[in-house]
Amino acid sequence: MITAFGLINASDRISRVEGLEDYRPVGAFSFIGRYRVIDFMISNMSNSGIDQIKVFTGSNPLPITEHLGSGRQYNINSKRGHLHVLFSKHAYAYNLYNTGITSYKDNLDVIQQMPQEYVVIAPSYMVFTADFAELLQTHVDSGADITMLYHAVDTAREEFLTNYTLTTDKDRRVNSFEPNNGAAKSRNIFMDTYIMKKSLFLVLIERALKTSSLYSLANIVADSLGTLDVRGVAHKGYLASINDFLDYYEANMKLINYDAALDLFKPGWTIYTRTNDSPPTRYLETAIVTNSIVSNGCVIEGTVENSIIGRNCVIERGAKIKNCIILGSTRVGRNTLIENHVVDKHVRIDNIKKIVGDASYPGYVKRGDRI
Amino acid sequence: MKRNNMIAMILAGGRGSRLYDLTNKLAKPAVSYGGKYRIIDFPLSNCANSGIDVIGVLTQYESIFLNSYVTVDSRWGLDSNDAGIYVLPPREKAGENLNVYRGTADAITQNIDFIDNENPDFVLVLSGDHIYKMNYDKMLREHMSSFADASIAVIDVPKQEASRFGIMNADATGRILEFEEKPAHPKSTLASMGIYIFNWKLLRKMLIADDRNTKSSHDFGKDIIPQMLKDNRILHAYKFKGYWKDVGTIDSLWEANMDLLDPQTELNLNDEGWKIYTEDTNDLPQYLGPGANIKKAYITQGCVVEGEVTGSILFTGVKVGKGAKIIDSVLMPGVVIEDGAVITRALVADGVRIAKNTVAGKHNSEHITLVASDIREEPKEPVKETKDTKETKAAKDVRPAKESNAVREERSAKK
Repeated sequence: MITAFGLINASDRISRVEGLEDYRPVGAFSFIGRYRVIDFMISNMSNSGIDQIKVFTGSNPLPITEHLGSGRQYNINSKRGHLHVLFSKHAYAYNLYNTGITSYKDNLDVIQQMPQEYVVIAPSYMVFTADFAELLQTHVDSGADITMLYHAVDTAREEFLTNYTLTTDKDRRVNSFEPNNGAAKSRNIFMDTYIMKKSLFLVLIERALKTSSLYSLANIVADSLGTLDVRGVAHKGYLASINDFLDYYEANMKLINYDAALDLFKPGWTIYTRTNDSPPTRYLETAIVTNSIVSNGCVIEGTVENSIIGRNCVIERGAKIKNCIILGSTRVGRNTLIENHVVDKHVRIDNIKKIVGDASYPGYVKRGDRI
Repeated sequence: MKRNNMIAMILAGGRGSRLYDLTNKLAKPAVSYGGKYRIIDFPLSNCANSGIDVIGVLTQYESIFLNSYVTVDSRWGLDSNDAGIYVLPPREKAGENLNVYRGTADAITQNIDFIDNENPDFVLVLSGDHIYKMNYDKMLREHMSSFADASIAVIDVPKQEASRFGIMNADATGRILEFEEKPAHPKSTLASMGIYIFNWKLLRKMLIADDRNTKSSHDFGKDIIPQMLKDNRILHAYKFKGYWKDVGTIDSLWEANMDLLDPQTELNLNDEGWKIYTEDTNDLPQYLGPGANIKKAYITQGCVVEGEVTGSILFTGVKVGKGAKIIDSVLMPGVVIEDGAVITRALVADGVRIAKNTVAGKHNSEHITLVASDIREEPKEPVKETKDTKETKAAKDVRPAKESNAVREERSAKK
């Protein structure tokens, strides 16, 4: 039997999501109303039979710790399974030093103590569904040292600009691995997901540390392509990498179409999250709601069009929400028009009656605002 | 967290036979309600919110689902060390045969050993099939300050409806002087809600005596309470104000669901301070398609609506196809309404599929139409408004097609 533990990494991104990330790391971002981004990766692991999971948090661990709790909601067995949140002791203010390697170094003893032979490393800032059990089997069967998951896209000029790309030969061997420079349309986007033996992982951490304080796992793997057998496996289905604000907005909005959502939510592959015990949503006589995703606990009296509404929101009479993502517990007062915006949690909008952003670059209302 | 020395015993053994097909394989307390709940979530959440940690659930009729449902006590936050939900079906005891519960009081009598183990000062006896929010801790405070031997929660009902209830006649201090079961000429409008607090030592004695009484029907309302009054015990009426509904029929279950559409309803399920907890189903949020038209509706996660929904309640995982119309109806979990189908004034049971362009229910029907099995194709005669029983039969008439298909498949498999 192949044994593996999971490792969810938060810190190898070099970009930032304006606004939202001031309050929480990307993994704790709300996603299509009821989920958090990190739910997808933990559910992938849980559904793949990986029930020992280490979650690395960046410099702001609170939102993730609060959301994960005991981890029971992810269907992880409470005796033999364990969801473990790890903190980096050196949360540098200067983000460049916050590489995954730094946080692995800080928790080296924890990684060394894991009894499993393999490790599955996956990102907390991407949204996709993948069967890691299948990937592990492919990895072991191939005899490779490292297996990397990638996704072929033809939007690499505009999207995934801070992600790595890779190319493979006919035996699926990775022969180039470098950041996306936006020069070509079609690229294989690396999904920041690796499978390797724990022993190799420890060697790579050590090598990276010796090479440079700024080195990430990707850097050291790129350096090792000539000496290690590194293979690529293609992924199909929905993929989002939340590198910046626009990525976040679009990753959500794409899923308003139910058929598109079925590309992410597969039968028998439950995405778990923390329950909020909110009641169903009440739509009043004056409600007009089309082409939208609505979470539980809302009261909707106004118009909602092409938008995503988080839990426990109130949209009052005459208010109109168009092309927006409204995060949880926000109240939009009467006759207010909000268009092309992301409205963070716990906002109250009473006085301003018109908040309209640009369709190509939506606006943002910050958490807890009273406007 | 222990806040009082009271345990709760929830009577959940009843069938609710006037709910017809809804309770064929399900005890009434497990019937779905309000989009995402089951009826028993209400007394269980009330207990949890009232600081009652130990709850016995007395089950009997079709108890497999109900037993497994309530056992997961973490759903209601009753999973701390001293807390727990205990499923108590009838059992065989040393020196005795397996005895079914003969009545509400007998169900408690047969579990005296369980209660003794918990050693409470007070026992709260509840019914598992009422919808309401109530703070039992407040009731206990009043019970203690009135030095009562037992307290009964009562609710003011309209005079013309009083004869449907057990009516309490109480003096100005709340002491109950008389109890009449369904009186033809009620003297008061205080109806018993079937919620009792007893001092355990006294109740224990009375239950043992009642057990020996061959003439007793072993029922709280019919035997124990009248006996206490006869013994001149202090019975206190605890006046409850707020929403309370016994959903015994298809019509009243439908109505109780419809009550949630009223923004001014007394049953506020959005109250953060008194949440009603239930199973977490891990469904997607609600999807409302480009053609959705939603007016006055109560919709929960897992629903996908592409048609029109007016004055209706959609439970977990309901799908409403393009051009379909749902009017004044209750669609239970997993119901699928295909494109163009029209449902009016109906209650559609769990998992029922209604085929394209078919029709169920009627807008001016006297009773609510219960649709308990699939409607597969345009019926020759449209499903007509009938009484519950007839309707159930009508819906069943559609079944043979499915069965003959199954038989056919089996035959071909044998070949």
